[in-house]
Amino acid sequence: MSAVAANLAPAAQTPGAVKKNYITALKDALFEEMERNPDMICQGEDIGILGGAFGVTEGLQAKYGTGRVVDMPISEACIIGSAVGLALAGKTVMAEMQFMDFISCGFDQIVNMMATYHYRTAGEVNLPIVVRGPAGAYGGGALYHSQMNEAWFCNAPGLRVICPSTPSDAKGLLKAALRDGNPTIFFEIKELYRRPSIEEVIPDEDYIIPLGKASIRQIGSDVTLVTYGQNVYHCLAAAAELEGLGISAEVIDIRTLVPLDEETIFRSLAKTNRLVVVNEAPMTCGFAGEIIARVTEKAFDLLDAPPIRITRLDTPVPWVKPLELHVLPSVAKIVAAAQKVVKY
Amino acid sequence: MFRQVYLARYFDVRLIKEKRRGRLRGTLYSSHNQEAILVGSLFGLKPTDWISPIHRDMPAFFLKDIKFKWHDATRMGMTIEQVCAQVWGKVGSPGRARDNWSHIGSREKRIIHSTSMLAGTIPVAAGVTYASRLDGGDAVCLTYNGEGSTAQGIFHEAINYAAVHKLPVITIIENNQWAYGTPTDLEYSQHDFARRADGFGIPGLIADGQDVFDVYDKVMQAVEHARAGNGPSIVECKTFRAYGHGDHDDDRAAKYRPPEEIEKGRARDPISVCRQTLLDLGYLTAEEADRYHAEGKHAPDAQNEDFPPEVVAYLNEGIEFAENSPLPEAEEAAMWVFKEASK
Repeated sequence: MSAVAANLAPAAQTPGAVKKNYITALKDALFEEMERNPDMICQGEDIGILGGAFGVTEGLQAKYGTGRVVDMPISEACIIGSAVGLALAGKTVMAEMQFMDFISCGFDQIVNMMATYHYRTAGEVNLPIVVRGPAGAYGGGALYHSQMNEAWFCNAPGLRVICPSTPSDAKGLLKAALRDGNPTIFFEIKELYRRPSIEEVIPDEDYIIPLGKASIRQIGSDVTLVTYGQNVYHCLAAAAELEGLGISAEVIDIRTLVPLDEETIFRSLAKTNRLVVVNEAPMTCGFAGEIIARVTEKAFDLLDAPPIRITRLDTPVPWVKPLELHVLPSVAKIVAAAQKVVKY
Repeated sequence: MFRQVYLARYFDVRLIKEKRRGRLRGTLYSSHNQEAILVGSLFGLKPTDWISPIHRDMPAFFLKDIKFKWHDATRMGMTIEQVCAQVWGKVGSPGRARDNWSHIGSREKRIIHSTSMLAGTIPVAAGVTYASRLDGGDAVCLTYNGEGSTAQGIFHEAINYAAVHKLPVITIIENNQWAYGTPTDLEYSQHDFARRADGFGIPGLIADGQDVFDVYDKVMQAVEHARAGNGPSIVECKTFRAYGHGDHDDDRAAKYRPPEEIEKGRARDPISVCRQTLLDLGYLTAEEADRYHAEGKHAPDAQNEDFPPEVVAYLNEGIEFAENSPLPEAEEAAMWVFKEASK
């Protein structure tokens, strides 16, 4: 690999330290914040007795009790609506969606009730609520266990939208979101939850990553690949392949969609002048389109080639592997796009 | 309570007049003929209790306050000045006139900010009472709902959750027979909405929505049940919507509803029902009662003299404040999307 990202977690280089996976990082963040903030409450389906469908909240209820870790009836609208009430009465709330696909059942409570609260009360009320849950495809989850529906929420002013791709980002961003004081939709990538190859050492201390700061995962000079979530790894693999083809790719993981770190993207483009944006969601009105729109509006002069977006086709996510992979971004699609913008 | 019913009525009557004079924007959702529900349900609350009014409950925002010295209530709601500033769309509104009409609230005064998503605040009510219980409090929350919103999924989802956790949420259904332009028999297949309660395993009470004392009794039964830790109740208040859904709908409502139904629905005006009870019990003399109109007069005909002078004076203060309060600056429109990081 040509150049290593400069902004990995500081403790990552400490020899002998224990590596953790993505799901443990999330769990650590929840335990630490529950300990730190006695006014924090966690609620969701199966999060207490069972410890969550994926185990993110395992042990949380045993430690903090049924009062603060609540098994909710199957009603996403009520999980979110009651979180609004808890926050209105001064609590901080983590509201788990068992799968982010199910968040649509709570959509009205998110966009009309929660997102607008600070605005319509002229700042009287702010809601420290993090709605988090597993998202993303590539695992054969089919139509209703595979979605990346982050764009819906980027279109609802008042919501932070976050999507970490590494264990340390998962911890640092979840803790930051729980302290930010604004309602947040936090997309976790379930395919990364227990992926051994991305385990890393995470600082034990109070580790916070500020919202709105992108991370340069790989430094390069010929083309900028902008992405987030699971596609970060597809872009890194594409960059490795491109290196063999004589193309040096820079990989930017935006990490937070709202707020978006435009500066890091523009700085990279000042060097590469070529842009490929990758997201797992469908193309039309997806976030890749938003990034390209901002670049063309604000930094058109930096571009030497028309930008390309690699996204899911405008289809649902089908079940069996050949179908699923056909509609999703892939290393090959990213490599081809990078070659195209470089050759333009 | 008698004077509070007059106050709620006068608020409605006066606003219709102000609107016709061209001083107000937005739609008026009249609570005419439904005032007993608001007054009776709010009367027994404590300052620590929460309420969640909707569009037709505008007087609830200040009735929770009880600025009058009629009984020694702690000041616990919004002031009439704040409510009027909201109606007039001025910065004196608690929400600085960012959302319209009844869409205000107050964390401090424990009034859940209403939205247009009816029944959407029931889960919020569950949340605030959950928090109160966790903090060792005994706050209950009254939520107000039209019978139309009982068809929403969130109505059922939230009451179910409250029932499971025995949360002190009292769901008041103002069954005024019409959900905008749709009658109840096209909204629900049984006669009494309170029977919804059976499915949740909670009490369902029916109150005469025209009788402030009956509403008070039934709501207080539910409140005591909730405060004792027994969980939520539904209180259906039978009433009738006097006018249209909003004032834009008045003319059409006179057509889509049969005249005999309107006449029947308005036959038992909450003011005259209350007055008669007080006369029967000897709390009011005939002379006192005759000083003001006993019937709900149609707004354009009603005069200030038809109402107790303290009621008129109270609202005048609010209106004066609202008229002197400035409009918000345009730049405010982009503010408060997010809470900024504290410095």
